[in-house]
Amino acid sequence: MFRMQNLSKTYRTHMIETHALRGFDIHVREGEFVTVTGPSGSGKTTFLNIAGLLETFDGGNYTLDGVDVKGMNDDARSRLRNEKIGFIFQGFNLIPDLNLFDNVDVPLRYRGLSGADRARRIEDALTQVGLGSRMKHYPAELSGGQQQRVAIARALAGSPKLLLADEPTGNLDTQMARSVMELLEEINAKGTTILMVTHDAELAVRAQRNVHIVDGQVSDLVRKAPTLFDVNSAELAAAVANATA
Amino acid sequence: MFRYYVLLGVRNLRRNPALTALMVLTLAIGVAASVSTLTILHVMSGNPIPGKSERLIVPLLDNGPLRSYVAGAAPDDDQSAYRDAINLMQGGFGARRTALFGIGGSLEPERPDLPVEGIDGLAVFSPYFAMFETPFLYGNAWTEVEDKNAANVVVLSRVRSEKLFGKINPVGKRMRMFNHDFQVIGVLDTWNPLPRYTHLINGNGGTVNGEDGIFIPFNAAIGAQLYPSGSTTCNSEQAPGYQGFIDSECTWIQIWFELKSASDRNALKDYLTAYTAEQGKLGRFPRKAPVLTYDVMEWMNHLQVVSNDTRLAVWLSFGFLVLCLVNTVGLLLAKFSVRAPEVGVRRALGATQGDIFRQFLVEAGVIGIVGGVTGLLLSVASLALIAEASAELSAVAHMDWAMLLLTVVLALAASLLAGLLPTWRACQVTPAIQLKSQ
Repeated sequence: MFRMQNLSKTYRTHMIETHALRGFDIHVREGEFVTVTGPSGSGKTTFLNIAGLLETFDGGNYTLDGVDVKGMNDDARSRLRNEKIGFIFQGFNLIPDLNLFDNVDVPLRYRGLSGADRARRIEDALTQVGLGSRMKHYPAELSGGQQQRVAIARALAGSPKLLLADEPTGNLDTQMARSVMELLEEINAKGTTILMVTHDAELAVRAQRNVHIVDGQVSDLVRKAPTLFDVNSAELAAAVANATA
Repeated sequence: MFRYYVLLGVRNLRRNPALTALMVLTLAIGVAASVSTLTILHVMSGNPIPGKSERLIVPLLDNGPLRSYVAGAAPDDDQSAYRDAINLMQGGFGARRTALFGIGGSLEPERPDLPVEGIDGLAVFSPYFAMFETPFLYGNAWTEVEDKNAANVVVLSRVRSEKLFGKINPVGKRMRMFNHDFQVIGVLDTWNPLPRYTHLINGNGGTVNGEDGIFIPFNAAIGAQLYPSGSTTCNSEQAPGYQGFIDSECTWIQIWFELKSASDRNALKDYLTAYTAEQGKLGRFPRKAPVLTYDVMEWMNHLQVVSNDTRLAVWLSFGFLVLCLVNTVGLLLAKFSVRAPEVGVRRALGATQGDIFRQFLVEAGVIGIVGGVTGLLLSVASLALIAEASAELSAVAHMDWAMLLLTVVLALAASLLAGLLPTWRACQVTPAIQLKSQ
């Protein structure tokens, strides 16, 4: 899905230089569910922002779904982000003045889809997260868990290939967190690649792969027992061929 | 997307209503002040006869005495003497010509129990009506023959006709004024050119208010020995009596030429220069001053129909609008700055900086439209207040479609201008920071 090689990112103020990422290498395959853990200030969010094209990087290479994003201008990155990436944030980040339908509509508007196509996608996405009957409600009328479901619906409506989640359960109680996690797993099972930053060790190990970041570098890759989602289609085909030989 | 932005703009009017109301009101007050003063300027400086204003020419011939005259100086008198008026009418230059002067007197009622009524109007030659495209409700103008014969006929304004005869066709009726019986030959439909450019130097109202109620043949007025009701300038001795007055070098008559084409103006100037030279041989025009000609707009400018005070008021009101704009910029900055999280979300979801710029600028425009409509209401109210101040202002303090449109366009342009900086600032939001800080 995406590959980062020797990526570096430094924040500079007039007094201090902070190396958020350095020599950062990672390859996330299509269909993977990867969790990202690490201590505060380790560079998790910077990694996620760069992966989501919200921030630029200073050195190295980043290829997203076969597209080299290095040197892309802001408009091109916005279009690519809109087309390929969905975001889920810890604080939900719904627009309070818009009802659920209009909130989910936001990314679709920027894609220039027709009204009918947008309406169908919005209804499908809200139905998928169990809020199909509350489309005219406003975010303030929902619980935290429901708001996060709306955010997930908004991310899903554009059918992104990559879903980036920054501590999506951080503001939820355990039960709601579990429910959101189950929803994400369900989405992943349908083929969407998910990259999730979390502080929750229990959630982190539920993913197929856990990337641990320390001081802006990947320090550890913890892999679960291989599943179908851990191998790409070529590997799967080779395995099937071997088994049947 | 434009419709989407407009919908968001309308929806966001309700967000922070106090701030929105303040912005709308600030814009509306600024626009209303500008539009009110501009309306007056627009009416007073507008072209009252756009189709032919460049072909209607006022000549100025300086027949003043030589004393205190600086050689080469322009004529310092805006009217002509009777003798020149008659000579130039008979000269036949141009497509049409008329001389005119204001008349005033009393209308003597048929029944002795009715009060004597004052009446104002103009003594003109018959081409006057065609030259200035006056609309006729009933009847028509008198003929050149009636001009020559000094016939006692009269054309009434609609207001005067209805006042005298009610809403009937009065053509053929008689009325007694200036000690003579006059027969009504026509009635003009409503015709109030603003400013009253055909007769700006008048004694019955001024440049914008007042109305000429009657029009009689120039020669009939002379026959009735009517003195002009407007200004008269006499710089030399004159013989006694009315004959002495009209034979004098006193100036009290306005002359107009209608040319076939605006390019004939130089020929008119040559003709008038030749005329003054010829008259010079008779001992007249001792100053040998250059002949001047003015078309309608130049004539109004020469007579300063739009006073410097009016122009100053417009400048001041636009200065006030700029102040209002600066305030609106501040208010928009406040309104948009709290929307940084929304900008962050939209950017993360695929909006380009251009998308955000357009969305917020359209939102500023929506505020401008609402401000424009409010400003329109305030303008109408302030014009009504201005009209209360004087009869002259009441004649010009009214809005037409052009000013109505201008109000909304001005408010929209002002809001877009005021919205540029806040919108640009909104575009600069770094989405990553906003998203994490929520």
